[in-house]
Amino acid sequence: MTVNGDAQNTAVGRVLGTEHTTTSEFRVLLEEDEYLQLDDLVVVRTEVPKRGEVRTYGMITEVEAIFEGASFESDTRRIAGEGTMPGAKVRSARAAVTRVDPEVWVSPDPGEIVDRAAGIERDKALYVDEMGRPLPVGVGRDGSPMFVDLDFFDGRKGGHMSISGISGVATKTSFALFFLRLLSSRPDILGEGAANLRILVFNVKGEDLLWLDKPNRYFDEAAREQWERLGVEPAPFPSVSFWAPPRAQSGDVVLPDTGGRQENVAAFTWTPREFIDEGLLRFLFTDANDSRNQIPFIEERVRSQLRRYAVDVAGEPGAVVLRDPMEGYKPGDQVTPNPGEAVIRDLRSLVDQLEEFVDPEDGEPERRWTGRTQAGTVSAFMRRLHAAAHRLGHLVRSGESRRIDRASAQVSVVAIQSLHELGQRFVVGALLAEAFAEKERTGQRLPLSVVVLDELNKYAPREGTSPLKEMLIDIAQRGRSLGVLLVGAQQTASRVAPEVMENAAIRVAGRLDAAEAERSEYGWMLPSTRARARLLKPGTMVISQPAIPVPLVVDFPFPPWATRKEEVDTAQSDPFEGI
Amino acid sequence: MAQLHVESWAPDYGSPFESDAGLAEPEKVDETVEVHGLWHAIPGIDDGISQIAFVDGVRRIDARLTIDDLTGPVAGICGSYGVGAVLWDRSIPRSEIVEARIGRLAVFGSGKGAPIPVISAELSYQSESVPDADPGALITRFHGAMRRAEGDLSEELAKTGVFVVSDGPINDMAATDKVGFIKSHRAPYLSHERAAVIGSLECGQRTPLFLIGKGGRYERYSWYFRIADRGDGHSWTGVVRGEVSAALDLDRAASIAARTTAIIPAVASEGHVDPRAPQNLVPIAALERELRRRLGDPGYVYRALRSAIMKPHAAGVV
Repeated sequence: MTVNGDAQNTAVGRVLGTEHTTTSEFRVLLEEDEYLQLDDLVVVRTEVPKRGEVRTYGMITEVEAIFEGASFESDTRRIAGEGTMPGAKVRSARAAVTRVDPEVWVSPDPGEIVDRAAGIERDKALYVDEMGRPLPVGVGRDGSPMFVDLDFFDGRKGGHMSISGISGVATKTSFALFFLRLLSSRPDILGEGAANLRILVFNVKGEDLLWLDKPNRYFDEAAREQWERLGVEPAPFPSVSFWAPPRAQSGDVVLPDTGGRQENVAAFTWTPREFIDEGLLRFLFTDANDSRNQIPFIEERVRSQLRRYAVDVAGEPGAVVLRDPMEGYKPGDQVTPNPGEAVIRDLRSLVDQLEEFVDPEDGEPERRWTGRTQAGTVSAFMRRLHAAAHRLGHLVRSGESRRIDRASAQVSVVAIQSLHELGQRFVVGALLAEAFAEKERTGQRLPLSVVVLDELNKYAPREGTSPLKEMLIDIAQRGRSLGVLLVGAQQTASRVAPEVMENAAIRVAGRLDAAEAERSEYGWMLPSTRARARLLKPGTMVISQPAIPVPLVVDFPFPPWATRKEEVDTAQSDPFEGI
Repeated sequence: MAQLHVESWAPDYGSPFESDAGLAEPEKVDETVEVHGLWHAIPGIDDGISQIAFVDGVRRIDARLTIDDLTGPVAGICGSYGVGAVLWDRSIPRSEIVEARIGRLAVFGSGKGAPIPVISAELSYQSESVPDADPGALITRFHGAMRRAEGDLSEELAKTGVFVVSDGPINDMAATDKVGFIKSHRAPYLSHERAAVIGSLECGQRTPLFLIGKGGRYERYSWYFRIADRGDGHSWTGVVRGEVSAALDLDRAASIAARTTAIIPAVASEGHVDPRAPQNLVPIAALERELRRRLGDPGYVYRALRSAIMKPHAAGVV
C-alpha cells in the first residue's frame, strides 16, 4: 500500500501539556532537530488504564513557533538581535485527530512521544487498511500516495464526485480526467466495474478535451516518475471517440463544428424520428424560469401528441409526416407523402408544422394539441420553439442516423463549446436521458457509466426547475445504484442544486474564491484547509471522502496527454492515424 | 530651588534611591584609591569581552508554620529560593540560562525545630532553627541561604573564566572577575564634594573607584556609573553602583569597572517593559522570571505542604 512499507517511525516531539488535549485535537512540541509540516501524519501511543495502549493518529493542520520568555514584542529584538535576553525558540504543531485505534475515544496523554507516521502507521492514519479498494489519486506533501476508496465512487457504498474551484487554473477538468485515467488504468483495483467502463465527457469550453489521445510534448521525467509512483504507465487515453455538432451551414455535407481538430471527429445529429420517439422536445425548454408559467403543460401535451401522429416517410430515413392517429397507422408503417403534405426533415419544418396546429395564423388552435392553455402561453411556447429552431436546428436532420455511439470507445468526448447555451443544455439533456434510460432498462449497476460535466451550475442551478435539473437530481439520487456516476465540476458549489451536491460521496476542491470558501457547502474542510484553499496551486486539490474524517491535500501529476493543439507532441503521434 | 521628580520605578518596588543609613553599618571609605585630587567623570571602555554571566536569586515564602510547643507557639517559615545564571555570549549574540538551582528551607525560631516530611524528590525541605524568636530573624536566615547560594554560583562561574555580574553586593571576596551590581542606594558612601560628580555622569561614564569596608573582612572597590540617559530625571536617575573584591589589584579593579560601565547600558531595561527600569537588567529580569517559574506553582506547593504536614503523626517536635 505504501512505498516505504517498512519505514521506521521517528519521534518528532511530544504532546504539549500546557493546554488540554482532546479527542479531536492535540498539539505537538517539536524536537530541536525535527520538523512537521501541514498534512504530515503523526501517531501517539497512550497507555489507557484498564484498556492498554491506544494509538491516536493525527494530521497536522497548523505549525507554530514562538520565543518562550518574550512577553513584549520588543523582546524579540532583545532575544534575537542584541541577545541580551534569554529566550527559547519553541516550535509546535497542531494535529487534528484522524483516528483512534482501538476505538477508545480518549485524548492522548500530555508528554507522550509523537512519532511521524510512516509505512503501516501512515496507512492506518489514512484508513487505507480499512478501504475496500484504495485507488491512489495523487501524492501527499510527504511524497507518498494518497488514496480514495472506490467503494465510495462506483456505487457500492456511495457514488459521484463533485469538483469545485475557480476557473482559469484549469484544475477541475484536469483532475477529473486524471482521476478517470487512473480509474481506467487500474482494473486491478476497480475490479468488475472495469469491464466495459464507459466515460462520457462534455467539452464545454475551448477545445481542451479534444487532444486526450495525443501525447503532450511538455510531459517530462519528473511527471513520469509521479505517474509511476501511482502505479500507472503514463500515456494518453488509448480509446477515445470525438463528437461534435455539424456546422450550422454545412448543407448536404455534414462536417463537425470544431476549430483545431477535424480528424477523427464525427458529427452527431438526431433524426426527427429519434427526436420525437425519445421526447427530446422537453430539452428545448430547459430554462429554469420556464417552469413558472404554463409552458411545461403544453410542452408535455405536444410531446405526447407528436408520438401519436408521427409516421415514417418511405424512402426518407428519419423523416416523418404528422397524420391523425385515427387513420390507423402502426409503428413501423411507412407512407408516401400526399401532394402538399409537409414532410418533417429538420427542426425548422417540425416547428412550422406544430405552429399550424397550436397557433395558426388564421383559424382556431386545435384543442387536441393545446388543451385549455391560454393563447398567451401558446404564443410563448411558439416563441421558444422558433428560437430553438434558430439556435440548434442543425442538430436535427433526416437521413442516416448520426447518433453518438458511446459504445465505440471507452471515452466519448462530446464537443458542445460551439453551441449556444440552449443547444448545450439540449445535447447534455438528450445524452444523459439516453444513458440513464439505458441503465434503467437493465436495472444493473454494471457496466459502469461515468459522465463528466463541467459548469454543473448551468445544468442544475440552485434556483428554479427544469427537466434537465430534475434529471440530474434523479441521477444524483438513483444513479449510484444504477451505475451512472456523475463527475460534476463547478466554480461555486453554492450555485448548484443542493440535492446534486449532497449526493456526491467524494468532494474535491481546487483553489477557491475567498468568499466562496467560507460557505457552508465547504463545511467538510477543516478551517486550516479552507484558509489554504485560496492559495492552492494548479495541480493541488483537497479531497474529502466518507472513509476519512479529514480532507486530504494531494498533488496530482502533469498529464501525458495534450490539452491544447500546441501541446501535441507531433514527433510521437502518427500523422497517418485515422486515414 | 530644588526640583521635584517622580521616580521611574513602579511604587511597589520602593525607590532606587533610599538613603536609609540605618540598614548599613557605617563603613570606612577611602575616596582616594584611584584619583587623589578633584573627581571627574571617567568614560567606560568596552574591551570586547564575549562571555558575561549574570547571576541572581529569587525567594518565596511557601508557608508559615507553627510548632505547638509546651512553652507556647513557635513560629517557623517554609520557603523556596532559586539562584541561576544567564550567559550572554556577545559574539553570537545570544543569551541562555545556563544554571538554575532550587533550594527549599524551613526555619524555626527559639532554637526549636521539626523535620518537614519529604513530599517528592523535587519538593523536600531542609529544616534549620535560629535562637531568636523574632520573625525577622527567620527571614534573615532564609535570605542568607539564598545569598550564599548566589555567591557560590558566582564564584564557580568566575573560576571558569567567565566575567560575572551578580545582582546585589558581592559576598565572596576571592580575587576573581566578578562584579556586584547594586541598583538601589541605601547608604551614602561619598563625601558631599565628591558625590557631586555623580550628577554630571553621562550614560556609560563612572566615578573614580573608592574603597569601602576598609580594614574589614569585606574590603571592596566600588564606583557609581550611569546606565541610561538621564533624560528629564533627577541627577541620580539611572545611576547604579558596582563593586569588586579588594583582593584584586587596583589596575584589575579599574579595568573591570571600565568594562562594566561601558557594557551594562546595553542590557539596561526600558520603562515600558520593566517596572524597575532601567536598573533591573534585561537578562536578570528574564532570569528571575524563569527562576520563579521553577520554584513551582505556589498554590500547588502550599497544598502539597498542607496535606503532607496535616497527616497525623507525620511531623513530631524534636
